[in-house]
Amino acid sequence: MAEASSVPAAEDEQGTAAGGPAAGGLPGPGRPPGPAADAPTVLVESSVPVESSVPVEGPVPVGGRGPAAGWRMLAGRLARGLGELLITAGIVVALFLAYQLWVTDVFAARTQDRLHRQLDQAWRQPPAPRAPAGDRARPVPPPVDLGDGLAILRVPRFGRGYSPVVVEGVAAADLRRGPGHIPGTAMPGQLGNFVVSGHRTTYGKPFSRLDELKVGDPLVVEVRDRYYSYRVTGSEVVAPNRVDVTYPVPKRPGVAPTKDLITLTTCHPKFSASHRLIVYGELVDTAAKSAEVPPGLGGE
Amino acid sequence: MYAWLYRHLPGPPRLRLALAVVAVLAIVALLMFVVFPAVETVLPNGQVTLGD
Repeated sequence: MAEASSVPAAEDEQGTAAGGPAAGGLPGPGRPPGPAADAPTVLVESSVPVESSVPVEGPVPVGGRGPAAGWRMLAGRLARGLGELLITAGIVVALFLAYQLWVTDVFAARTQDRLHRQLDQAWRQPPAPRAPAGDRARPVPPPVDLGDGLAILRVPRFGRGYSPVVVEGVAAADLRRGPGHIPGTAMPGQLGNFVVSGHRTTYGKPFSRLDELKVGDPLVVEVRDRYYSYRVTGSEVVAPNRVDVTYPVPKRPGVAPTKDLITLTTCHPKFSASHRLIVYGELVDTAAKSAEVPPGLGGE
Repeated sequence: MYAWLYRHLPGPPRLRLALAVVAVLAIVALLMFVVFPAVETVLPNGQVTLGD
């Protein structure tokens, strides 16, 4: 540092820009203690202590027997290399923690912003031509590509800012984008069970507070032209293999649904795969988008 | 290891320092964008759906 400041800045810049010979020639007289800069190949061994200040060449002044000194040097190098590897491993683990706790949130936030914009845009376009059959009460939502947004979930208990875009699909790549709708289960407002899985930790952790929901809490699902208001009817913690909670009528295989249900799933406890936290709800109200405030969000 | 790597970087100290910083950033980027996303799929906190 000190030697760098003693050299005029412009001169140093020129030397660097000019390339090898000039750069090697300049610092020579001005900086006697830096031989390693121009002759690394010649002085590989002797430059070790200069840069590292580790007493690798300690055995020389001690003047002990050759083999013992060699062994000590080798052991020192091995120990040092091992130490550096362990420190590196520690840093990588720390980086991975930072990645999991913060970086994935940043990724997910950016993806969610993009999904919000895409949904806004898509919903402003005129809807795709609907099947002429006049069942106006239950419009059939168009199919959504995997990874694309299909609805916005709002949960007043999680605050007004809580509005993750629900994407289609529950593959790892889909869930990184947002809570995922399990393909094949009902779409919002369809008869049956609208099942959504989301991360409890990492990637924006959209379902981290699912355990705070209480019976009667509103869950509002916003689609192109309407708000579907569900109420929480219960929750439970189940084993990971309990696929039956995603059935059209949860835990009743083969039974035809008579209600519009919603089921949210996430992992439980946090950072664990041992169980799943399931929250059930049922549709209580549907409102057209023209309504200023969606039902369930108004009374907050 | 690191001393050895640093010694084998070409150029004057400033260039070496810049190269070292670039190398570290490249490795961190590789970890964040490629290695960690691949590794985390086997971690328990990504398993939020039902199934075997």
